[in-house]
Amino acid sequence: MPIKTYDVLIVGSGHSGGMAANILTGKGISCLMLNAGPEADYEKDRSLKHAYELPYRGFNKPGRLPHVFQANEFNANQWVDEKEVPYTHPADAPYNWVRVRLLGGRSLFWARQSFRLSDYEFKAGEIDGTDSWPISLADLAPYYSRVEQIFRVSGRKEGWPQFPDGDFVESTFPPDTDSIKRLTEICNKRGVGVSKWRSALGKDGLASSINLLLPDALATGKLDIVQNAIVRQITTDKNTGLANGAHFLDRHSGREMHVKARVVVLAAGCLESTRLLLNSKIANSSGVMGHYLVDQMYGVSVVASVPEARDGKAPPGLMGGNAFIPRFRNLKKSEKCNFIKGYCVTINSGGSASPNFFPLYGAELQAKLDSYANSCVSGGIFGERVARYENHVRIDDKVTDRWGIPVLHIEARDSENERNLTKDAADTIEEWFHEAGWEVICKTDRVNPPGYSIHEVGTCRMGNNPKKSVLNKWCQSHDIKNLFVVDGASFVTCGWQNPTMTILSLSMRASEYLAEQMRTRSI
Amino acid sequence: MKRRNFVRGLLATPAAPAVLLGQQAAQPQPHPKPNTPARQNPREPHNVPQLATVAEDLSAQPAPRYFNEAQFATLCKLGALLLPPLKGNPGAVDAQAPEFLDFLISVSPDDRQKLYLCGLDALDAQARDKFQKPFSELDAQQADAILRPLLTARPWPADLPSDPLQNFLAQVHEDLRTATMNSREWALASEKSGHLFTRGFRTSGYYWAPIDPIYEG
Repeated sequence: MPIKTYDVLIVGSGHSGGMAANILTGKGISCLMLNAGPEADYEKDRSLKHAYELPYRGFNKPGRLPHVFQANEFNANQWVDEKEVPYTHPADAPYNWVRVRLLGGRSLFWARQSFRLSDYEFKAGEIDGTDSWPISLADLAPYYSRVEQIFRVSGRKEGWPQFPDGDFVESTFPPDTDSIKRLTEICNKRGVGVSKWRSALGKDGLASSINLLLPDALATGKLDIVQNAIVRQITTDKNTGLANGAHFLDRHSGREMHVKARVVVLAAGCLESTRLLLNSKIANSSGVMGHYLVDQMYGVSVVASVPEARDGKAPPGLMGGNAFIPRFRNLKKSEKCNFIKGYCVTINSGGSASPNFFPLYGAELQAKLDSYANSCVSGGIFGERVARYENHVRIDDKVTDRWGIPVLHIEARDSENERNLTKDAADTIEEWFHEAGWEVICKTDRVNPPGYSIHEVGTCRMGNNPKKSVLNKWCQSHDIKNLFVVDGASFVTCGWQNPTMTILSLSMRASEYLAEQMRTRSI
Repeated sequence: MKRRNFVRGLLATPAAPAVLLGQQAAQPQPHPKPNTPARQNPREPHNVPQLATVAEDLSAQPAPRYFNEAQFATLCKLGALLLPPLKGNPGAVDAQAPEFLDFLISVSPDDRQKLYLCGLDALDAQARDKFQKPFSELDAQQADAILRPLLTARPWPADLPSDPLQNFLAQVHEDLRTATMNSREWALASEKSGHLFTRGFRTSGYYWAPIDPIYEG
């Protein structure tokens, strides 16, 4: 049986791979998609259960997935098994690498928060002296618009430069409750804008590559998807140095296969794409590959109780609802903070207190919890870390995964800037709550380990200078012109925003550029 | 065809896809089905009945075996004190939370086992030292004299106290609570009261089974 020859090999099936397949096949380009894991069957693999029906009563198997704080016994089988595909990190610098290898990748389970980056991120160098992207919001805006339409993003337009508006579907928000109005007044008095969440509605409860991007690609007849294909090396032509395919292993049997393609597009997720390139020993003449790993800080939390809402006495319209406060720090050069970058604040009203907040037990604790039930307003943040060279990944030759492939060593630490930023965030939210007359019952400026946000980006940053970046502004390797990396690895800064809309837009833009290059025979 | 020309033809083949790309877009090839359907031998079993089974908790009692007698008695006492039956809900003892934790800790990593074993022993030792009887036999006031100084507030879930005994009490309190609220007894009580969802706890939901697990042979 003759083996099909493909124009493009796409590694990975999440948002970025799905978008690449959607765009390329739409232009008549044949693609093979390799995905490291199987396809989930939502009918067969998923069932409603009580916690007591599970073997560990909802606790999860002890010692399983120690780095995935999001894991519980219900969802444990979604995540990549850390024993099967381990990674290493220094003992004093834990890193939470949260992965999904099912077909569709993490697009199956993301929280759907959908924001654009602004020129405060793209042009960061002009604001705070760190590195800028080689593109601006204007370059990406047309792609953001198309992505927002595909993913049906709801949101409220504000006209604020640090929070660029999108092409939102018609969105209606219920009137703010009095607690949200009170907080809004306090913020507005300080010049801080208060908005609403921006969220991808998707279709049928899902906003994934498997329902919004890949079905159209398959319908062209130009896409083949192979599941359980673990790519271990990108191969190159020894004469031209161009990428010409990949070696992969069958997940079950370990049988080695090779596929040929004219172009290789990596979309395996930031760190898996970088791991693959490092293991392939290609595209790193700059020496920058693996460096500038960055993600956002989650964990800062302030919770207050609204006195008039206690003991179930909240008048109608006082509690409930939410607010979203985009970055408000360091928007002006004249602003003097002891940190650069910024954070957004997420506000939820109407919640209850955690039992951990009170040094009580038994009936006394229960009485306290009952009194504070539904009386709480909580504030959390998504904080931007600075992308720094020393936060990096490299291959750990001493450890291999189940298939004998060397794993990543991940080294990422927070700096004084991160600590000052989170302290400012906790102090600021507490100040707002105090001014509102609410009782602060919990405050912490601690953050979860790097990686926890599941928004890891960087490690193959884009740039105009091939000596200081891995990719050009089209997500194309400086060294190997038929090699593209379209996931979050190309990011220069992480921003405080969920990166999904940006990853999708960059992948769409890179794929259209690639298609045009192929049409004109430039690749 | 002469052999030389045939070989030339073979060598030229890899270049073809690049040249034909535009044509491919204009004339899409029919997509071949990757697999032919598998066929079933008529003698293979079919229409096999699915028999009704019951959960083990409905037909048997847990048999704790990890903690020694004194440790288990201390754990049961903690369950009774920290999470008694309240508001029509079962307490930790009713929900057999201590029995479940005996199992859970027995299969937990070493550091967690050590935390529990040392913590239970330390509480018992304090009781014997202060009141000349085991922790499990203290009255509520005596137990409170030991427990209250050890209680801490934890704004951040992973922010555990550095003192080992305070740390143990924080964790056993949370574990007893989870084991109780995730129990069958709690679910039945919630169903009876009409409060099917317990805030902050995932007592039911979609469970993902292992997806295409690797065959170990």
